[in-house]
Amino acid sequence: MSEEFNDNKTIQAQSSEVMTGGAAGATPDMDYVRPAEIPEQDLYHAHSFITKWVFCQDAKVIGVQYFLLATFTGIVGLILSWLMRLQLGFPGLAGFMTAEHYYQFVTMHGMIMVVYFLTALFLGGFGNYLIPLMVGARDMVFPYVNMISFWMFFIAVAVLMASFFVPGGPTGAGWTLYPPQTILEGTPGSGMGILLMLISLSLFVIGFTMGGLNYMITVLQARTRGMTLMRMPLTVWGIFTATVLAMLAFPALLVSAIMMTLDKVLGTSFFMPTILKAGEVLEYGGGSPILFQHLFWFFGHPEVYIVALPAFGIVSDLISVHARKNIFGYRMMVWAIVGIGALSFFVWAHHMYVSGMNPWFGFFFATTTLIIAVPTAMKVYNWILTLWRGNIRINTVMLWCLGFIVTFVNGGITGIFLGNVSVDVPLSDTYFVIAHFHMVMGIAPLMVIMGAVYHWFPLVAGRMLDETLGKWHFWITFLGAYSIYFPMHYLGFIGVPRRYFEMYDSPYMTSAVGMNEFISLAAFIVGAAQFILIFNIIKTLKTGKAAGQNPWKANSLEWYTSTVPPEHGNFGDRLPVVHRWPYDFSVPGAKDDFIPQTTPPSEVVHTEVEKT
Amino acid sequence: MTETNNNKEQASTHKIGIYLWIWGLLFVLSFFSYMVDWYQFQGILRWSLILFFMFLKAGLIMAFFMHLFWERYALVNVLLWPMTAIACFIFLMVAEFEYLLFSRLFYFVVGG
Amino acid sequence: MSDPNIQGYELKPGFRGMAKDTGSDQTMFKGVHWGKAMMWIFLLSDTFVFSCFLISYMKGRGSTPEEWPNPSEVFALDAFGVPVPLLLIAIMTFVLITSSGTMAIAVKYGYEKNRKMCGWLVLATAIGGLTFVGMQAFEWSKLIHEGVRPWENPFGAPQFGSFFFMITGFHGTHVSIGVIFLFIYAYKVFAGHYDTGKRGWFTSMKGDYVEIEILGLYWHFVDLVWVFIFAFFYLW
Repeated sequence: MSEEFNDNKTIQAQSSEVMTGGAAGATPDMDYVRPAEIPEQDLYHAHSFITKWVFCQDAKVIGVQYFLLATFTGIVGLILSWLMRLQLGFPGLAGFMTAEHYYQFVTMHGMIMVVYFLTALFLGGFGNYLIPLMVGARDMVFPYVNMISFWMFFIAVAVLMASFFVPGGPTGAGWTLYPPQTILEGTPGSGMGILLMLISLSLFVIGFTMGGLNYMITVLQARTRGMTLMRMPLTVWGIFTATVLAMLAFPALLVSAIMMTLDKVLGTSFFMPTILKAGEVLEYGGGSPILFQHLFWFFGHPEVYIVALPAFGIVSDLISVHARKNIFGYRMMVWAIVGIGALSFFVWAHHMYVSGMNPWFGFFFATTTLIIAVPTAMKVYNWILTLWRGNIRINTVMLWCLGFIVTFVNGGITGIFLGNVSVDVPLSDTYFVIAHFHMVMGIAPLMVIMGAVYHWFPLVAGRMLDETLGKWHFWITFLGAYSIYFPMHYLGFIGVPRRYFEMYDSPYMTSAVGMNEFISLAAFIVGAAQFILIFNIIKTLKTGKAAGQNPWKANSLEWYTSTVPPEHGNFGDRLPVVHRWPYDFSVPGAKDDFIPQTTPPSEVVHTEVEKT
Repeated sequence: MTETNNNKEQASTHKIGIYLWIWGLLFVLSFFSYMVDWYQFQGILRWSLILFFMFLKAGLIMAFFMHLFWERYALVNVLLWPMTAIACFIFLMVAEFEYLLFSRLFYFVVGG
Repeated sequence: MSDPNIQGYELKPGFRGMAKDTGSDQTMFKGVHWGKAMMWIFLLSDTFVFSCFLISYMKGRGSTPEEWPNPSEVFALDAFGVPVPLLLIAIMTFVLITSSGTMAIAVKYGYEKNRKMCGWLVLATAIGGLTFVGMQAFEWSKLIHEGVRPWENPFGAPQFGSFFFMITGFHGTHVSIGVIFLFIYAYKVFAGHYDTGKRGWFTSMKGDYVEIEILGLYWHFVDLVWVFIFAFFYLW
């Protein structure tokens, strides 16, 4: 064996700091962190405008790109929801609105919000920006592929938006795209619309896989010295676990998209049963629509947690920082995230209780569904216990966090209703379901996103967002969201079916008509209130007050970069060395009420700091 | 197969013999699984033989060609545990297709 | 591949080692190049793709009341006037295993920095893969000639053709992508990019022989998938 080969396998120490703890007088062993295992990352430094801001390989810029594009699609989704509410609250007011349009808007709203907005925003946006900074890496491990990932997402969004302009319009089959009606004539957008949707989803999956590999491997293989998995901020844990779920769940979506494309284009019958249409038997026959539902929800249920877990992680960090208290039960929180992630692959068919699958499945899936509520409830208790006797600062970020907890508990409890077969059967396909999932995976994660924007904007832009505007934004959104979704529970109980374009003069309408108008008005106001944030951002970029280093007095590494906002390479000449978890707040005996992760033990010997 | 390579000096590559051995074994196993079809075994015997040879071949490829045998447990476990989700999916889909076949025969062939 | 030598870190075997590695800082997979870890995770994801295909196939085949065609008759090939069951498939299997073997040895020589041997073996692997794709094209055209279509076939359940073309097509796509990369890497090995650490054309990352192992993982995975397809589609 040759010399070079040995070099390759024996990993040399590439220490960026003297090995023994340098502080004079301290015990040399106390601050010891073992030398670096992996060589310094070999970064590609861009020079031209195009490589710096467009085809950029810096994870932070990619994160912002993801964020902006996801926000754009989110605004499209918001406008679609306005149009839907306009129709539901005031039927016939929008003259152009036909039933076909309504179904297309429902479908596109759902798909955009779940996949192209929330998933892309949490994993692509926050994941790209925060993972390398929080684990102390200079960049993602494979920046080139990371860049391609964003541009695949860009193409996916372009294809999706193109479906608005093709003959027949976008698909109107509902965001679950259930066959056989999805690809049959008579469903809006069953021609080009559904094809573009399937292509767009496939592109999204391919692009996301490229990004997801980066997030996972950066967390697993590129942490800085001293950064163990159990010293990572919960934000990273949430995004990491969600990425794992995405890597294992998106394949099912890809497969169902491919199979449905073949059904549509080649006339295969994977999902298509024998169909009589106007007395004529169609070419299709022998397929199983239930198979699609299984594949779709094998993706779809983990997808719920792909959206929820990053929100759980981020909100834990925000609560801890703004209550100046360590997160209660950190390890329990980590294991709850991992446990929820693992269990989420065993609960999918609770979306299919009324589908006509094997009736025995109801028992299995109701049991697993109730089991998954246990770690979720543990997380809620831990957030509340973190707040308990904390030094709570009621600022905008904290308001969003509190709003999240309330909303999430609310949506979670209705989830227990729907997880039981016998309760689900009458409630299924009513507005109760709409209320449930909008509360639990629409509004709740959105509140976390808003809180995270107010929290990390000073890092990204170096300026503090305006607090007064932020509080207006919060209160309108919070009260408005409750005005929208609380009445929907009632609508569900009286049996108003979802996905109906108009109730005409059905018996429901006597009690539901006023409520529908009220919900619609609230929806217009809440939607409009989101533009307060955009106004706030523009205003802050122009005149906001400078944030300086670490305005929230947080501990995690992203606030300890060489410059604010961080530049390419994040940490200047030396990578930070981590000595503790990021939750040492209000430690008795400490000089400040926070101890950064980089503080060596010798500097805090007199404090009652926890051993992590 | 006993080449564990704990010796650090020799840590990096394996003797060519091990690859040739595995290669030969894969040929032999493929030949056997082909013979299952050739002799037209049927029923349980056929299925168990097919699965046996399949898992043996897959295991050999993963363990030796993909070096999983020599990898540390952290990597091996990360790769193998997610397969429980697939196992669950397979198990439930078996129950599902049996039910579907039953209902098709019951409603379409027997006539309800 | 084997236990690395890491300064200041003692490796423990078995599950204790796993716990220690997982709890340690910097890396979880000790001594594993990030690219290799990335390929492994990608393959895990790809395993789920193929699993979903095969599960769909299982469900489709299991629930059809129509008769499923007998693969050993459908895929029989006339050799000297006698129909031999699965002849072509057997040859394809042998070709793919051969190419997997050459790849495994190429990885070994890559680590020993034996440029010539590594290059030739990667090239041999690429040619094996190309042969496989060629034979698959022949198989497809033969079946299409016999009237098998994705939406129908003369032998029985129409889903037979659908699943056959979809699954072998998806596998064939993987093989074809692999062949393209094998040719590129064979060129890069012969040109000495991995000896000199020449930067990649797109990624601008320094070349290293570990890339051969990463490509090898992908190629063995393609072989692995074929083992399952062979068992479930052709033999079952």
